[in-house]
Amino acid sequence: MAGRASRGRHWLRGHAGSSPALARLLHEECIQLLELYRKRESLPSSPVAGDYLVSIPPLVPPMSHAEKISILHAALKECLRLLEDVITRENAEFSEEEGEYTRQRTTVKDLLGHLLVSTERLLVDGQRFEAAVKEELDGSGIFDLKMWISRVLQDLVHWTGQTSDTLNQAPAEKAPISRRTRKGTRKTRN
Amino acid sequence: MEVYLTLALLMSRGVVLALGHDGLVDVPVPSGLTLQSNKSAQTLTLTWESDSSQFDIEIFHTELMNVVINETVESKADPTAGQHVWTWHSGLPLECTSHSVHIRARYQQTVSQWSPLQTIPGSDVPEQFLSKMYPQDKVVHVGNNMTFCCIVGEKINFDRILYHGKEMNATRVSRRTYAVTVVNLTVSEVTGTNVICCSKSHTLTGAVVFVAYPPGDEDLVCETRDLTSAVCSWKKGRATQMRKTHQRTKYSLNGRDCLQANKGEMLSCTWTSWEQNWTLVAQNPLGRVQLTDSASLADRVHLLVPVDVTAVEVEAWSSTLKWRWSVAAYKKLDMICQLKLNSRELTVTRNFSGTGLSSVLLDGLWPDVGYSVSVRCGSLHGFWKWGDESAPYRIHTKMWRPDPPDVWIWMDSETSGWVLWKPLSVSESHGALDGFEVSQSDADSDRWSTVSLSHNNFKFPITLTNNSDINVTVAARNPAGLSQPSALTVPAYRAVGSQLKVSELTGTNGGFDLSWRSDVHGRGGFVVEWIPTGCAGLCAVKWLKVPESNSSVRVGPESLEAGVRYTVSVYSLSAGAPVLLERWNGYTQELPPSESVVKLSPVQISSDVLLSWKAVPMKQQRGFIRGYSIYLATAARLELLANVSDPDMSSYRVTGLSLGSYKFVVKAYNSAGEDSGSTVAIKLEINMDMMVVGILVSLGSMFFCLILISIFCYKRREWVKKAFYPEIPGPKVSGDWCSPQGPLDVKASPHSLVHIVESPEWEFSKKGLVPVPEEEEENIGVDTDSDEPALLKYYNQVVGEDSRSNPLSDSSGSSTFSVDSGRTDITYTGIQSPTSSHGGGYRPQMQPVSGPDESNVGFESDFQEESSGYKPQCSWQLDSPEAENFRGSVGSPTSVTSSQFLLPESSEENRPAHGWFHSILSRKS
Repeated sequence: MAGRASRGRHWLRGHAGSSPALARLLHEECIQLLELYRKRESLPSSPVAGDYLVSIPPLVPPMSHAEKISILHAALKECLRLLEDVITRENAEFSEEEGEYTRQRTTVKDLLGHLLVSTERLLVDGQRFEAAVKEELDGSGIFDLKMWISRVLQDLVHWTGQTSDTLNQAPAEKAPISRRTRKGTRKTRN
Repeated sequence: MEVYLTLALLMSRGVVLALGHDGLVDVPVPSGLTLQSNKSAQTLTLTWESDSSQFDIEIFHTELMNVVINETVESKADPTAGQHVWTWHSGLPLECTSHSVHIRARYQQTVSQWSPLQTIPGSDVPEQFLSKMYPQDKVVHVGNNMTFCCIVGEKINFDRILYHGKEMNATRVSRRTYAVTVVNLTVSEVTGTNVICCSKSHTLTGAVVFVAYPPGDEDLVCETRDLTSAVCSWKKGRATQMRKTHQRTKYSLNGRDCLQANKGEMLSCTWTSWEQNWTLVAQNPLGRVQLTDSASLADRVHLLVPVDVTAVEVEAWSSTLKWRWSVAAYKKLDMICQLKLNSRELTVTRNFSGTGLSSVLLDGLWPDVGYSVSVRCGSLHGFWKWGDESAPYRIHTKMWRPDPPDVWIWMDSETSGWVLWKPLSVSESHGALDGFEVSQSDADSDRWSTVSLSHNNFKFPITLTNNSDINVTVAARNPAGLSQPSALTVPAYRAVGSQLKVSELTGTNGGFDLSWRSDVHGRGGFVVEWIPTGCAGLCAVKWLKVPESNSSVRVGPESLEAGVRYTVSVYSLSAGAPVLLERWNGYTQELPPSESVVKLSPVQISSDVLLSWKAVPMKQQRGFIRGYSIYLATAARLELLANVSDPDMSSYRVTGLSLGSYKFVVKAYNSAGEDSGSTVAIKLEINMDMMVVGILVSLGSMFFCLILISIFCYKRREWVKKAFYPEIPGPKVSGDWCSPQGPLDVKASPHSLVHIVESPEWEFSKKGLVPVPEEEEENIGVDTDSDEPALLKYYNQVVGEDSRSNPLSDSSGSSTFSVDSGRTDITYTGIQSPTSSHGGGYRPQMQPVSGPDESNVGFESDFQEESSGYKPQCSWQLDSPEAENFRGSVGSPTSVTSSQFLLPESSEENRPAHGWFHSILSRKS
């Protein structure tokens, strides 16, 4: 396991390519998307109560970067599914003309797709992890839909932040993961 | 839940007991009270049984027992069911909290006991512990009021309720329920307006409200495009602002859904066949509108666009336009078509009608002109509207021969002139011009000489070699051919100022209104020619051809310029050369002269000034000069001296000026005003020649008078001598007194005056008399050494100018003698020494008085010795040589004072002299 982790680290250095920068950019775009949604809906800046919708195994220190990226890749994949669900539901519910929010939404979706493709190549030996979505849309009210959309966007901010940190930390593997996780959490809760 | 119901029951019992004590038990209590709620409509329906028809109803928020309503209602039992039904609309959603109801019957002032409380549980009961907000997804009309409630989850602290991000005032309804009321709701955003319930740190729950309008659609119109089906369309009107997909306006036409409209694609609905009446229903959750239209198909024909529009048989003056219809049924339709022709210069529309019209002949086109043409058609009978218009189709007509040019001949001398013609416009040239052909021939011969000129030449010089008439023709050429020639015979040269009278012409509105003798008929019409007067070389000649029937014309301002003098001539055209009928000079509008008179010069003539100038040049006159204004320019303004109203005058004489400097301004003026003026300055001075002449005349006159006086004196010299120089009797001396026998003891006679002058020499130059005090006069005879007598004082004045101008000679000429120190002069008067008048003669003042001088002493002794009767004047002989030296001293102090003071006053011989001099003195005093 350790040998595999070491091998994965060196391999990551050579093959990460533009993924770290892409992840960083996506994270910023997700933050902006959440802000735009809150602004459009006049929602308070405080986060919606509840845990993250997407859950993954804990990223503990013994894990290699490649393993972490594989897990985060699974989380991002679920995030993309949720975002596509958001777009579908919003289009079905509202006859909205294209605006700043919808353009940003499309941008995030596209970037997320690119990041998934980019990180797909980093996965170790085809090792796949599954991420779970703990809560699907609950309730049929419009406000419930909006809260669910908010939570999806919050998840996007969180998991893209996690991925960005992990990808950009590949050369300095000694840094504790738990601290980064808290950092990512703090970001999204603000 | 059970706890609250028990509490409500106990309260109900308490009321009944209380009422029982008051004895109000006669009216039976309503029975069978049941509650039925409609939560979406927020209504509560009460059903009960009773024989009464009047009831008191109380509704509470159960948990806090707040009375929501306490109302007395009239109700009649349903005849079939025997039940009373009453419905209440709650402002607060019924889910917000539990509602309890009880009822009692009323008969006049008597009421029954309250019925047992019936309760509808809300969503804030402990069993439902999650946070919730009501109502959810409500659609309301703009301007309504709404109440929202937030049921806070168990063990969660409520903080605030936000409506569209704005915190509202919340009211506590129950332990876990808080409510806010929003009044006058405004239109929602796209996804509705959020109402959010928050704790201190989180969003707990919320609801969305859609505030919008009911449909505002209007103006339903149905028409046919293919003469079979119908298309109904309408206008949206006021937008509903309803963006929720399932709540958008739904449309139906004559009972069938309009799919296109419901998808939001367009506001129209198609119908496969035509129906006479049409009804459109537009509906959304807030309301519906119904629009109707009624018309026959023939009155609602809206034709489609003509297709395949093409031009065939395009000629110079016409073209045929064809098109095709996409609907076969149009071929039998009587239609009207409108063609819109656009060229570079204008746009015209032409209408054509016919059955199934698909081609028209466009005539009246111009050669070599590009047109764009578009077509649209409509039903001829029961015209509804123009059909769709085709895209513009471009046509360019063929070329055609040019029109004949407008030719004129302008003679600038007896033997030379210019053939002139005007450029051809696009509508005259009918194609790009290649050039012009100018032909010239003698009228007597048929021999023509032709010159080809390029298209940008519009003049050709001609020279007359003999007196015969010369014919000239001009023709224009383009690729389509040569135009008809314009022919003209060279007119005779008539210079301005020749025997033809030239009238003055006044312009009107920037042009000239001309009229000429109506008895003259030009068979070929008339030509009005105008050129700037006085122009040199090839002038800008313009002309206008006037039909034969006219004898007046207006020359518009387009070719005329204000302030320019034009010579306007009218010629009659006939078989031969044009004949000059009339000629004018005039301005369309006069302007003030642009320049002043030139060469303005002043000439002084005695005290007058003659101003002369030359007239303003013709070009700068800019109007007929009417005269000149002469101004005298001062520092502050121009003072008008004269107005010379004769424009031919070129001088003016300004008279009566005194010596000094003057500045004159001369301004020419016309009817529009004065020019800026020419200024000239002159300084008037004395005429030196005249002054010299005057002086010479004066001197001559004086000289002549002197001669006359001299002659007179010479003729009357005896009388003059007697009058002015009477004989002085000589002293009678016995013996030889001339040889001194001893020293003379000269004592100062009381009449021998000694004047001691202590003042310096300048005192001689004093004018006027020196006043002598009275007391001094009295002492004259006593103190002869120090005080001079009064008469001596006058002496200084009598001696006159000479004594002042030359005190030195004066002193020497007088018989004064100074015996004193250098500081004190002593002047003797009355002692005369014949040898002391000039040259080396006696000059007492010039002798230094340094001490006792022997000669002086001797003289003094002689003087004293003579005091007994000696008269020194006795030795004076006017005829003696010494006496001659004294002629010039007549009137001098020497001679006059001697004779005055030394002669006895009583002497009869001296009386005349005394009288003359005394009279002078008296006048002086």
